[in-house]
Amino acid sequence: MPPFRSGLLKRKSSNKESNSSDSEKVPDQSDEGSGDEELIQGALNGEDDATDSEHEEESGAASDQEQDAVLFDDSADSTFGDDEQVDNDSEGSSDLTDSEEESGDENDGSSETDEESVDSGAESGAVQTPSGVSDASDTEKKDTKQKPRKTRQAKPKSETTEASIDRLADTIGKASVKTQPVEKKDEYESGDTSDEEDRRTTVGDVPMWWYNEYPHVGYDLDARQVLRPPQRDHIDDFLKKCEDPDFWRTVRDPNTGQDVVLSKQDLELIRRLREGHVPDPTHDEYQPWVEWFSREVLATPLRAFPEHKRSFLPSRSEQQQIGRIVHALKMGWTKTRKQLAEERRKKREKQFYNLWGSSEADPAQRGLQRHIPAPRRALPGHAESYNPPPEYLLDKQEMKEWDKLSETPWKRKYTFLPTRHSSLRAVPAYERYTRERFLRCLDLYLAPRAIKMRLTITADDLVPKLPSPRDLQPFPTTEVLQFKGHTELVRSVDFDPTGQYIVSGGDDGTVRVWECSSGRCLRTLRAGAGAGAGVARVGWAPSAALALVAAAAGRALLLLAPGAPAVAARLAERTDRLLEAAPPQHDVTVDERTSSCAQWQHVAPEQWAQGVRISIQHFKPITHLAWHARGDYVCVTLAEAASRAVVVHQLSRRRSQLPFSRNKGLVQCALFHPTRPQLFVATQRVVRVYDLVKQELVRKLLTGAQWISNMAVHPGGDNLLVSSYDRKCIWFDLELSSKPYQTLRLHGGAVRSVAFHRRYPLFASAGDDDKIVVSHGMVYNDLLQNPLLVPLKQLRAGGRRSELCVLDLRWHPAQAWLLAACADHTLRLYA
Amino acid sequence: MSAEIAEVQLQVRFITKQEQYAVPDSPYAIQSNVQSSDLNTLINALLKETNPSIEKTVEFDFLTCGELLCTSLAEHLQDKGVSTEDTLEIEYLERFPAPAPQDCLMHDDWVSTVHAHSNWILSGCYDNSIHIWSTKGQHKLAIPGHTSPVKAVSWVSFNGDQAVFASGSHDQSAMLWVWNVTRNSVDCVVTCRGHEKGVECLAVSADGNRFATGSWDNNVCLWSTSLSDEDNVPAKKRSKPELGNTREPLTILKGHREAVSGVQWMDFNTVLSSGWDHLLKLWDCELGGLKQEVAGNKAFFDVDWSPLNNSMITASADRHIRLYDPRSTDSIVKTTFTSHTGWVQSVRWSKTRDTLFLSAGYDGQVKLWETRSPRTPLYDLSGHEDKVLCCDWSNPALLVSGSSDNTLRIFKAKHYEST
Repeated sequence: MPPFRSGLLKRKSSNKESNSSDSEKVPDQSDEGSGDEELIQGALNGEDDATDSEHEEESGAASDQEQDAVLFDDSADSTFGDDEQVDNDSEGSSDLTDSEEESGDENDGSSETDEESVDSGAESGAVQTPSGVSDASDTEKKDTKQKPRKTRQAKPKSETTEASIDRLADTIGKASVKTQPVEKKDEYESGDTSDEEDRRTTVGDVPMWWYNEYPHVGYDLDARQVLRPPQRDHIDDFLKKCEDPDFWRTVRDPNTGQDVVLSKQDLELIRRLREGHVPDPTHDEYQPWVEWFSREVLATPLRAFPEHKRSFLPSRSEQQQIGRIVHALKMGWTKTRKQLAEERRKKREKQFYNLWGSSEADPAQRGLQRHIPAPRRALPGHAESYNPPPEYLLDKQEMKEWDKLSETPWKRKYTFLPTRHSSLRAVPAYERYTRERFLRCLDLYLAPRAIKMRLTITADDLVPKLPSPRDLQPFPTTEVLQFKGHTELVRSVDFDPTGQYIVSGGDDGTVRVWECSSGRCLRTLRAGAGAGAGVARVGWAPSAALALVAAAAGRALLLLAPGAPAVAARLAERTDRLLEAAPPQHDVTVDERTSSCAQWQHVAPEQWAQGVRISIQHFKPITHLAWHARGDYVCVTLAEAASRAVVVHQLSRRRSQLPFSRNKGLVQCALFHPTRPQLFVATQRVVRVYDLVKQELVRKLLTGAQWISNMAVHPGGDNLLVSSYDRKCIWFDLELSSKPYQTLRLHGGAVRSVAFHRRYPLFASAGDDDKIVVSHGMVYNDLLQNPLLVPLKQLRAGGRRSELCVLDLRWHPAQAWLLAACADHTLRLYA
Repeated sequence: MSAEIAEVQLQVRFITKQEQYAVPDSPYAIQSNVQSSDLNTLINALLKETNPSIEKTVEFDFLTCGELLCTSLAEHLQDKGVSTEDTLEIEYLERFPAPAPQDCLMHDDWVSTVHAHSNWILSGCYDNSIHIWSTKGQHKLAIPGHTSPVKAVSWVSFNGDQAVFASGSHDQSAMLWVWNVTRNSVDCVVTCRGHEKGVECLAVSADGNRFATGSWDNNVCLWSTSLSDEDNVPAKKRSKPELGNTREPLTILKGHREAVSGVQWMDFNTVLSSGWDHLLKLWDCELGGLKQEVAGNKAFFDVDWSPLNNSMITASADRHIRLYDPRSTDSIVKTTFTSHTGWVQSVRWSKTRDTLFLSAGYDGQVKLWETRSPRTPLYDLSGHEDKVLCCDWSNPALLVSGSSDNTLRIFKAKHYEST
């Protein structure tokens, strides 16, 4: 049997004795309780008793208890011995209770038992709580009962010293007999819970030597000093050793300083511990071995081994399963039986249409969403008062007018006649009340109100979001230089490929070469002198290897050398060498149509000296000329030449071509594509793009303009800007469509010239109004992004002469400078 | 607002770096609306008390917050955002005396370039000629040597009677000339051929041994100024009789993408060039490579370098003059001087004063600037009737400018004893 079981059994077996032990204890405590009261009383009575009682308590606590126990045990064991009976008697009430409980006798009367029960209750209270806190109701009874008890107790206490000595002697005498009861008593003490011991070890967990200098050793629960047991010297020890047969097994408790006689069990325990056995004597070290688990496979295996822990825990998988079901229920995926039954019941029930319910789901919402309040009537004014101020009353003249307007009452000042009444009571009924109410209702009913959706668009929203011009710098902002020298209006300007020089031609028949940065006229060539006409167009050969200026003077196209000051001498020499001798013409057969149109003329030496290198005579005056990007071809546009309006001259072979055989309209100008072999030909309203290699029309651009004046190709070649005399600039994105990408109306007059910058995303347009508009024209390589056109700046073009203002525009090839040929005989440079 | 400012009293303290004009270092309370002239009278009065040896009144300029005082003090402080509560330190220095017009030298054509020396002034003309004048205004010589407008001239050296000068022209050549002063005869010693296009600018190094030219062919060329034929000139080239004595460049510095508009020597080894490609480039002559590059945002027309304050001023295709410090790594302009109303074509530092420079603009004005006064020039040297194309201050006493009105105007810097 395991030890705790045996312990339990022991407890049960000792239960019988517990009565006695309890009863034994109770009087002890009552003793203490009485001592307690005694102490109070002692304080009242005087000193004599106090010391005594204390001493008695201390000594008695040890000896008395022992003796009590011994006695009791004796009594329990044996039949009541006489001497003990006497002792019991001498003990008084304590013994009385003992006997009472033990025998449960009725002799002493109900009053006694009552009192005792109360007392014991009080005692138990005293065990747990300080004795001072006893019930007020009890105190009266106690007082009455305790007084006699005390009187009874007083006697035995006075006798205790003598009695204890007697008892000691008795015990010594009965030493052999007493061993057993002592053991029993010890067993009780050890068997009892430890709080019994705690009651005495009140010093707490402190070393005992702290109390060496004090007469007491700690305090009990009631905060009274626990006095040190009387100290014994060696003689006492010796005497005791001689006298006390239990001396050998008496040890001093270090906590209380009291002598403890070790019981037989303790000794046994010590012996077992010394020998290295299990302390519990009942422990069977040699239990038979039960083979719960064996290597042999049994047909019916023994399963009496303890269950595994998880068998006591809820199952995990079940938990998950339940969780799943609960979730499904929550989500409405599955339904409980109750719900299903409810549904079935509902299905069985008949459905009725709620005839009297509202047609809409939420009647509160009806009409509120789109509520249109009826127009309010104007508040009544002073004139409508029953007693209007006199100024509102109509005087004679107004009355006359009122009467006059009787035919047209809506023209009257009021819709009613302001009248004065002495009091509100005197106001007569309004005769038109019903009718007006009716009309008002009709108004509301017959004129349905509707919400007028009004778009709030500000003017700013309509303007496209364009970047700020400040972010698009550089662009020309001011006029910086004027090139003065021409005596007539300047028709055309052009930069040399590096931007160092400028060539210009005007109505005065001169072609002038200028230095760009200083405005100095470096050379004047009399180009038109021979032809007797002004220079319509000039163009510097775009090739860097050629120093040549083409000038259209009347019917002649002159290729001029700009002269020594303006170009590098070596370059000029090279150009001259190239142009000096005409290449052999024998392999070329020129048809009559072409030869009648353009004739390459021999340049006379005097003309050569003047700078003319090549002269080509045409049958009609030249209006426009354009260089090919490589500088070998010049495209010339002739005025009123029908099908022969466009002539392409090739310098290296000195040959002319008429690319078109049929008249497509009045050709305004023709341009080469900067990279591809294409020719842009602008007639009056349409721009046609021809492929020169395939000799076919590539596309036809419908400008929408009435009369095209000029055009310019973006250096990328995919965008074309067309200016027209009807004040428009038309941007074509050739990759986008043949319709205008954007039509810019930036000018107040005819637009005569447009120009693209070669490097910067800039273009400019100018015309008959004295404004040059510089715009930002960003062309993106990304095909998805359309060109961004932002007008940047209006430059004032000075010098307006007879409806003409700016005749030509050119951008500096490298800098963001703009050059304008003005009608006031000047060239103006803007930067 | 000005009336409100006028009430303010200012605590000022006057300091100066010119010891002879020192006044007691004690703060004075003055009205905030005083002008520079009022301060001038105050300083003069103080000077009379402390230093009786100075008899005549001295004109002073006043520097506050690192800028020259041109408006009233209150406005100046308001511009600068300086509190009027603190004691203000005003530095004063003797004012640069107003240059007086001295002479007007008439040319036959536009004067494109000018260079003055101690006694002689060299000018280049658009009629392909070079002129030598004395500083007194006497026309010494007209030299028709070039076949295109002369764009750059510079004295190289004076050696007794023999004066050497260089000229660059749009005829793609630079020429070295020897002028015998006493005989008043000139001789073209060397023709420097190497540029593909016109020479735009020319600068002679400080030791006079080399000169640099910038051209429209985007190159800067370095040439030797020695009058004799060097050994490195190939024999066959020398033998060509029709070319005369030609010379090839020592080094060609290629790097500009547009025309080189200005060139200056910084030291024996470094050449500074400005281009129309919006770049200032510093070249190492020994290695023939680029040392540093400063980017602007307009085409540069001219650049000048001052060894006195190690900074460069540039004229670009707008009306501003910009001051750069090449030592600062970023290209941020240190100061912008704005007063011209047209393009500024030429800028020149003073050779003696580190804070003064001269500028010539297309508005017909030549302006004398103080670097600490970015909005107002010290003096406007007016007189030209057309675009001023060039200016020069190589002779500290002469401020020379050439214009497209065919005149060369000389202003005399008055006696000035700061050095």
